[in-house]
Amino acid sequence: MDQNSSLPPYAQGLASPQGAMTPGIPIFSPMMPYGTGLTPQPIQNTNSLSILEEQQRQQQQQQQQQQQQQQQQQQQQAVAAAAAAVQQSTSQQAAQGVSGQTPQLFHSQTLTTAPLPGTTPLYPSPMTPMTPITPATPASESSGIVPQLQNIVSTVNLGCKLDLKTIALRARNAEYNPKRFAAVIMRIREPRTTALIFSSGKMVCTGAKSEEQSRLAARKYARVVQKLGFPAKFLDFKIQNMVGSCDVKFPIRLEGLVLTHQQFSSYEPELFPGLIYRMIKPRIVLLIFVSGKVVLTGAKVRAEIYEAFENIYPILKGFRKTT
Amino acid sequence: MASTSRLDALPRVTCPNHPDAILVEDYRAGDMICPECGLVVGDRVIDVGSEWRTFSNDKATKDPSRVGDSQNPLLSDGDLSTMIGKGTGAASFDEFGNSKYQNRRAMSSSDRAMMNAFKEITTMADRINLPRNIVDRTNNLFKQVYEQKSLKGRANDAIASACLYIACRQEGVPRTFKEICAVSRISKKEIGRCFKLILKALETSVDLITTGDFMSRFCSNLCLPKQVQMAATHIARKAVELDLVPGRSPISVAAAAIYMASQASAEKRTQKEIGDIAGVADVTIRQSYRLIYPRAPDLFPTDFKFDTPVDKLPQL
Repeated sequence: MDQNSSLPPYAQGLASPQGAMTPGIPIFSPMMPYGTGLTPQPIQNTNSLSILEEQQRQQQQQQQQQQQQQQQQQQQQAVAAAAAAVQQSTSQQAAQGVSGQTPQLFHSQTLTTAPLPGTTPLYPSPMTPMTPITPATPASESSGIVPQLQNIVSTVNLGCKLDLKTIALRARNAEYNPKRFAAVIMRIREPRTTALIFSSGKMVCTGAKSEEQSRLAARKYARVVQKLGFPAKFLDFKIQNMVGSCDVKFPIRLEGLVLTHQQFSSYEPELFPGLIYRMIKPRIVLLIFVSGKVVLTGAKVRAEIYEAFENIYPILKGFRKTT
Repeated sequence: MASTSRLDALPRVTCPNHPDAILVEDYRAGDMICPECGLVVGDRVIDVGSEWRTFSNDKATKDPSRVGDSQNPLLSDGDLSTMIGKGTGAASFDEFGNSKYQNRRAMSSSDRAMMNAFKEITTMADRINLPRNIVDRTNNLFKQVYEQKSLKGRANDAIASACLYIACRQEGVPRTFKEICAVSRISKKEIGRCFKLILKALETSVDLITTGDFMSRFCSNLCLPKQVQMAATHIARKAVELDLVPGRSPISVAAAAIYMASQASAEKRTQKEIGDIAGVADVTIRQSYRLIYPRAPDLFPTDFKFDTPVDKLPQL
């Protein structure tokens, strides 16, 4: 337990080999190095601790880990109860020196697992702070607010030419007005979505609230088209856009935000009441309103939405209205 | 003596005693004279000004005393092109009355669109009486955008209108989008889109609009006296400071403030009149007015003379 408490709170989620993200911890906090090898290396002072204390420490960490592989190895080690084996591994480990090593929680690991690419050298003390890659935000706790997905737009190729007129005549809930738009607009109730089906066989599916629902809905549309007699396939399903929204629960001073973040923000009350913030990394557009509601769009994966919100939240906190 | 005060652009010729003195040109004798000591530095200098003599016995459609067009070479790409004028005698017309020499086109074709746009900008600015400095700034912005070619697909009139809007903002006298729409054939949506694209292309930004930017214009259009205008400015500023109208467009807040100030004075204006001038719907004025009405006593300036007391202000 002391092992993990010595780490800064944000990095506790990283305290697993390979930097695996535990689900309980928000995946992308501002401090979280995005998929790098910068996992913090806990105590290397194997020399100072007795082997027994090491074993105790490892078992305590084991309780917090969810990697079964390490647990199995740990159990094997406990069963073997070979102090010599542990001594061997620790001496080997000390010999390995600075070269890339996995976090030294499980000494048995060092024999089997490959070193992480680009890992940092051994830290002499447990209290070494990590330097973040992402721009300097205080190592505060995450916002605790999770943006909800509101809309997913996806495309799929049915792989065959379609006759829109027959589809429109025979399918239920389909409208086709070739003078207005060159596609059949079909709707299904569960999941509540709308599809645009083009004569080339390509289809756009909108309105789903999650990635799985979007895929399921696209499959349902493909089945409808198949039942009408076309040799429909399900090729290249791809999510093109995801829209999420959330509420930071406090009013925001948009004028202050546009002054400081001029190169990213555009606030024209005559044109639109919200501030349009174009974040560079990840490439997401956020609509920020005075009431504190935020809409995030332009994401290809869910993680981008979360990351963008975690990036903007401390900035918005800085522009909270005081009255 | 020399009356022209033309600045001497030739760096070579200076008075030997006063090298810093700017030589004065005497056009009659073609001399360059030092104003400090009167020394004649250069003589028989060729006058590059306009033609002095005019042969006005022929019907002169164009003023022949000009040796070149007076257009600004700063904006167009060097204005050294000439064109053959229309024929005046009988010999220049063939049997049907058409002029024989027809080729008057293909002059500065690369900048034809730009010159067209400048003409359009001048026309638009003239409709709302914008001063020359704004027009010049607009021309410069248009030239920069046109040369960059990043917005080449957009209508030139849309770019010109957006440049006019940006120039007004940059000069500190912003015009609302609706005011620019009124003098342009482009829709507000398209002007807004081009506005954002131009800001991105030129990598500039503009200041946020405030309620006070529009007060003097709206109030004079409504023929309101100065006290009412100052009161309305004060009301709008206080309303924004006290955050009574979060998220409302500054134009709507300004319109509501003018309504409150005018209703409290002898010169009352209806919501519809104010809405027409400001380009705001009267329901919008009503909405903003409802937000500022509860704090009305705090918003008025202390030295305001009420024709209608605060508690008798209309409540909508």
